[in-house]
Amino acid sequence: MARPGAVIEVDRNTPPVLFHYGEGVRLERLPLGSRIVYPPDPLEPIAHPERAIKRALGKPLDDDPLKSLLRRGMKLTLAFDDLSLPLPPMAAPDVRQLVMEEVIDMAAEAGVEDIHLIAALGLHRRMTADEVRHIVGDRIFSTFWPDRLYQHDGEDPDENVYIGKTAQGEEVTLNKRAAESDLVIYVNLTLVPMDGGHKSMATGLATYRGIRAHHNVKTLLGSRSYMNPPDSALHHSCIRQGQLIEDTVRVFHIETTVNNHAFPSLASFMQKRETDWTPQDQAMFLAMKQITDIAPPAFKRNIFHSMRAPYGLTSVNAGQVDAVHEKSLDAVRNQISVPVEGQTDIVTMGVPYLGPYNINAPMNPVLVVCMGAGYLFNLYRGKPVLRKGGVLIFEHPCRYEFDAVQHPSYIDFYDEVLADTTDPLEIETKYEVRFAEDPWFRQLYRKSNAYHGAHPFYAWYWAAFAMEYAGDIIVVGGERDVVHRLGFKAATTLEDALEMAEQTVGRHPSITHLRVPPIMLCDVQ
Amino acid sequence: MTAKPWYSGERGVTQLAAAVGSLVEDVRRVRRAWHWDTPRPHTWPERGSVVPAPASDLGWARQEPVRTIRYLIQQGLLLPFTEAMSHPKVEGREWVKELDRPVIFAANHSSHADTSLILHALTDTARDRTVVAAAADYWFKRPLMGNIVSLFLNTFPFSRTGGAQGQLHASSTLLKSGWNLVLFPEGSRSQDGRIHEFKPGVGHLANETRTPVVPVHIRGAQRIMPKGQKLPLPAAARVRIGKPMTPKPGEGSREFTGRVEKAVRTLAETPKSEELQGTWIERWRASKPRELVYGED
Repeated sequence: MARPGAVIEVDRNTPPVLFHYGEGVRLERLPLGSRIVYPPDPLEPIAHPERAIKRALGKPLDDDPLKSLLRRGMKLTLAFDDLSLPLPPMAAPDVRQLVMEEVIDMAAEAGVEDIHLIAALGLHRRMTADEVRHIVGDRIFSTFWPDRLYQHDGEDPDENVYIGKTAQGEEVTLNKRAAESDLVIYVNLTLVPMDGGHKSMATGLATYRGIRAHHNVKTLLGSRSYMNPPDSALHHSCIRQGQLIEDTVRVFHIETTVNNHAFPSLASFMQKRETDWTPQDQAMFLAMKQITDIAPPAFKRNIFHSMRAPYGLTSVNAGQVDAVHEKSLDAVRNQISVPVEGQTDIVTMGVPYLGPYNINAPMNPVLVVCMGAGYLFNLYRGKPVLRKGGVLIFEHPCRYEFDAVQHPSYIDFYDEVLADTTDPLEIETKYEVRFAEDPWFRQLYRKSNAYHGAHPFYAWYWAAFAMEYAGDIIVVGGERDVVHRLGFKAATTLEDALEMAEQTVGRHPSITHLRVPPIMLCDVQ
Repeated sequence: MTAKPWYSGERGVTQLAAAVGSLVEDVRRVRRAWHWDTPRPHTWPERGSVVPAPASDLGWARQEPVRTIRYLIQQGLLLPFTEAMSHPKVEGREWVKELDRPVIFAANHSSHADTSLILHALTDTARDRTVVAAAADYWFKRPLMGNIVSLFLNTFPFSRTGGAQGQLHASSTLLKSGWNLVLFPEGSRSQDGRIHEFKPGVGHLANETRTPVVPVHIRGAQRIMPKGQKLPLPAAARVRIGKPMTPKPGEGSREFTGRVEKAVRTLAETPKSEELQGTWIERWRASKPRELVYGED
């Protein structure tokens, strides 16, 4: 039985705690009485994933067995999540590959000739051929790429269709091939409760027109939190869109979940609590710290981004989307939930080198905000770990560093938009449409490997709630100019940051450190 | 009367000069009289045994430890070099992934780089069981070079000038022994990059041994190393592999060769041809990993 997550109080004997620091690591001593929240240990993975997949497809939830849905002459589309999940990318074979191979075997047996496989990118960047190959495996890639295995293009007017409006007036668009199929099978990987369900189709195979219905400041401010779908306006909107999609096309969902075994043995100290570190872990930490302190960023990035996570499959469910997603959420919560008592004045965390939008690229300042104040801050259920008006402290070098291929619109967003204002609402009103409709960004999204012109806005909106909720956000170790441009305060050391925070929350504040990654979900009571 | 030797003391220096002159003349005549690098005149009688030793003499190249040495050479040198020089794009690899029985790879030929590109496109298992037919009158003219090439590429001498039966005997023996065979049915490298007429040997072999023929089209090899160039240059290449073909009942060697030639030409032109490259279902089944069958004790 895997050890559950824990909240540990810092006393004199507590070792210093690990902070991720971009493409680096730090050990920090927290004041006595602070709390450290540790994620649960990885659950035991399913021993025979292939058998579990066969079983799930043979006995789906609230739906007919997949075999009975496949017939000769039908138009079949398989859609799957892109490389933004899981993080870090999974060591081969990816669970999506295992599921898709099984589905394709069944389709071949049934004689389905018209089959297409679409990477459901939404407005994410196009993956390189090698990245697609990594997800689907050699066999699928060599059989289908590039004419039957390709990536969704949310800006192709000929390949997307408008489906209609929900009762709330949200427009719904869908990839044309998917809309015209007799059956769409969606293969998903749910890493956190935010993923999966109706959101998969409603964002992955949609256009800007459909996605803007819920990726906006109003909806994201109304989501408490994104990681708890019942309380998330974002998810309610996706559900409404998803229901309309299901009225248009028959969808069969397959959702997989993995444990939180995020780091390979080389970096196993990142996976362990500091009290469990062996001399080898300490040596590994020291080696990594020294190397990352002196190595140039590109070198460090190559090392970090080449890491593959040895995730293990913990559940696979197939069938009707709501029934399937409920099971997936249970499995995810079972892996990542940690009960935490009460809120706190200050929350600290280290922002790691990787987020969903910078695979094989540096984490630019806008993505640091998205990751720290967007995703990591929102890893809670019920209410935030931070009290209203408290101080959020995160560590990251926050360099002025952008990947010109993947993030061209982020550069303009940082230089032009953030120079004007950091207020999400104002940004949305003044700038979003111009960036989204910019022909050059559109061209780069369609033909190169660039995120959509609207994407930096969404990254910023993810953090809108944290920015509104927190009294202050302090970045430790970041470049001062960059941090100020983001609208935050800069501190050199954690001690300085805590002192600065006291000016906002008062003397003797309560402090909680979230030791992520590996990912966890704070169940705040 | 025989001439006295130069060291007899009579006509000393003059006779020495005459002897040297005669030697030089003999050497020059011998050197100019044989033209091994030009085609043999068709009016000449059939040559007895071809220049190289028969295929069986190169059996050492297909035995251990030479196979292991070749594997190491290919993994350490040939394949990385091919990858670095041309980053070949391979289409239809599934057809050669899990070969149940030997096949003949019939490819167009425009460069020495063709062989390494084909070997690069194969899986380790298939490559280990593949021999390459190399022109006897070119590669095996000098025994040392022939042996080195055999060590690197597992070649065997394939006569371009002898009679059909004699030429094909060694090849069919190899096929029957379980070896895949790489053949370039055009017979020689194309000067202009165009595909030339296929010689009927490939059809004859396939008919005789009932071996499937895998049509292969290589594009870009000519830019890497065109005929007459000594050193390779980096250039992109593509290897397109078609579905294995077998002679239809009653189909003659020439007809079948014509069909193979047409397949290679179509592969060159058409990006996707279900007839030649198979439907996705056929390709998917072809790429299914072989399941290990354990015997019952």
